[in-house]
Amino acid sequence: MDNPQDTPKQPSRRDFLKTAGAASAAIAIPYVITSSALGDATRPPASDRIVMGGIGIGNMGRGDQGAFLGRGDVQYVAVCDVRKGARDGAKGKVDGHYHNKDCKAYNDFRELISRTDIDAIHCATPDHWHAIVVIEACRHGKDVYCQKPETRTLREGPLMVQAARRYGRVVSGGSQRVLEDYRGLVNKCWGGELGNIKSINVNVGPLSQPCNLPAQPVPADIDWEMWLGPAPWAPYNSKRCDGNFGTSGGSWRSYIDYSGGGMTDWGAHHFGGATFAVDVRELQPEEVIYHDEKDGKYVTLRYPNGLLFHHNKPKTGHMQVEGTPGEKRAAKPVPTYKGQGGIYGDFIDCVKTREKPFRDIELAVNTVAVSHLATIAYTLQRTLKWDAAAQQFTGDEEANRMVDRARREPWQL
Amino acid sequence: MSDQAAVDKAFDALKTYNWGTDPKVLLPITEEVVATHGDAAAREKLEARLAELLKTDVSRDSKDFVCRKLMLIGTAASVPALAALLPDKDNSHMARYALERIQVPEAAAAMRDALPKLSGVLKVGVIASLGVRQDAASVPALAALLGDSDAMVAGAAASALGDIHTPEAAKALLATQPSAATAKLDATDASLACAESLLAAGNKAEALAVYKSLIGQEQPKYIKLAATRGMLLCAGKK
Repeated sequence: MDNPQDTPKQPSRRDFLKTAGAASAAIAIPYVITSSALGDATRPPASDRIVMGGIGIGNMGRGDQGAFLGRGDVQYVAVCDVRKGARDGAKGKVDGHYHNKDCKAYNDFRELISRTDIDAIHCATPDHWHAIVVIEACRHGKDVYCQKPETRTLREGPLMVQAARRYGRVVSGGSQRVLEDYRGLVNKCWGGELGNIKSINVNVGPLSQPCNLPAQPVPADIDWEMWLGPAPWAPYNSKRCDGNFGTSGGSWRSYIDYSGGGMTDWGAHHFGGATFAVDVRELQPEEVIYHDEKDGKYVTLRYPNGLLFHHNKPKTGHMQVEGTPGEKRAAKPVPTYKGQGGIYGDFIDCVKTREKPFRDIELAVNTVAVSHLATIAYTLQRTLKWDAAAQQFTGDEEANRMVDRARREPWQL
Repeated sequence: MSDQAAVDKAFDALKTYNWGTDPKVLLPITEEVVATHGDAAAREKLEARLAELLKTDVSRDSKDFVCRKLMLIGTAASVPALAALLPDKDNSHMARYALERIQVPEAAAAMRDALPKLSGVLKVGVIASLGVRQDAASVPALAALLGDSDAMVAGAAASALGDIHTPEAAKALLATQPSAATAKLDATDASLACAESLLAAGNKAEALAVYKSLIGQEQPKYIKLAATRGMLLCAGKK
């Protein structure tokens, strides 16, 4: 793997290894290389490994770290978290794995990202940080595996895609469930058994809510200003920033400044699986139809190809597909992961080959756009038309104001 | 149909609202925002009541709530009250939360006017908001900040010029480069954004000039690759 960060002024790890090797040969000093550095039948030599660091290393980040750390083709060298306990724990895990003390721990992700010896990062911060971390990593020549939901606002998505494309970076979204949870339905749809797909329904929620929890003393363990980052300032409260997976209160996933709630958190999985099954991953809806009916409120997202994508349609099952079974379609090959090791192996394989991963950031952004569009329609309680090319609502200024939100200084995309 | 008594009660609650108060007490105002869609007179009244609160000594939390609502329904009428908060370290961000999204020229003008009076992160925030608005009228003011002694300000100005990415923004970035390393990276990214925009608009010669400025030996390899890719596109090659 060639590190694009190499510069004449700042020698990279590989430059260092080359120089060290040449120097030792020239002056004939015995040069001891560990067996780990040389690699073996199951592990490539150090110079061929992907050098990685992790940013946001709590709940999901811990799992991601474990997956990458366990790979022989990865050399894991750095961790970053604004919580000291999580940071120290993550460093200890890496050091324990490699039997050394080499892993560096950072509070500020910018220090990790600016290291020229790191090829790729994984990001599992709370959602309000994702876009900044991903874009900044691309600007520093890093490939990125970013946990879902990849965006907090509609505007962030195209900017993340743009950064990935501008710098030729491999950027993967993070939902393993998109491919793995709905294989049966995906195979039926792609196999043509259901004919032409007319509609699909996804049941997921809830929307996130405002948070007005009282102030508590800020523990010494956390850098509260960095945790908030681009979000509006608010006092520390343990429930505001708890990383548990709940979306109905008592976790950052419940609150509007940091998350879209279940709508984006589980929506990234379910909408991702559904858009994959009915093959609209590469599209965004053109209309969000708001229904307020006797049986309840729900939305229908209409795609440019005519497909109707319902959210929480009353009396309709989760992932219920309406097709034309009498009119079988020709089967199409189902896309899948590259490499070995699920979604993590897919990302690492693509870092090596420079191909697009299964959850290429553009596809992931399209998925979360479904969540955001539906959320805006529910919030405004009206039907909206969406111009995907312009990334704007047509004829609805208020809706357009919800496409993004100002970030707290000094953060900008 | 809105319940005016409930709205009045919610406005009363705003006067003492603070962290720890149940946010449900403000729900009638949120519902009024939705209910008054298309009713200009009702909106004007609601906006005026909200903006008026910004001039009082209600809590930071109350002003936070007000700014969130003005983000949705604010007009030029709210701009003075919001702009007055821009130099206030506790409320500057939430003022921008509204001003950045209110698409009237008065909002951008108010932020431009605030620039010379601000410094540090508050200045960075306003610069960023002008960039997000793609406010072409801000290019001269932002260009003048590229050489600012505060690297954060210089970098933010470069990024904002990249967000605006007009030919004038591209020229400003070609003419002046920030000196600090972090700001240089912002300027490089902004220059690439400008070049992409120039190329998309068919201004190949101007785009090429920007790309050529980015392939110096001091640049990391991935940036040289990005610039080279752009130069090939200028030459009609993919």
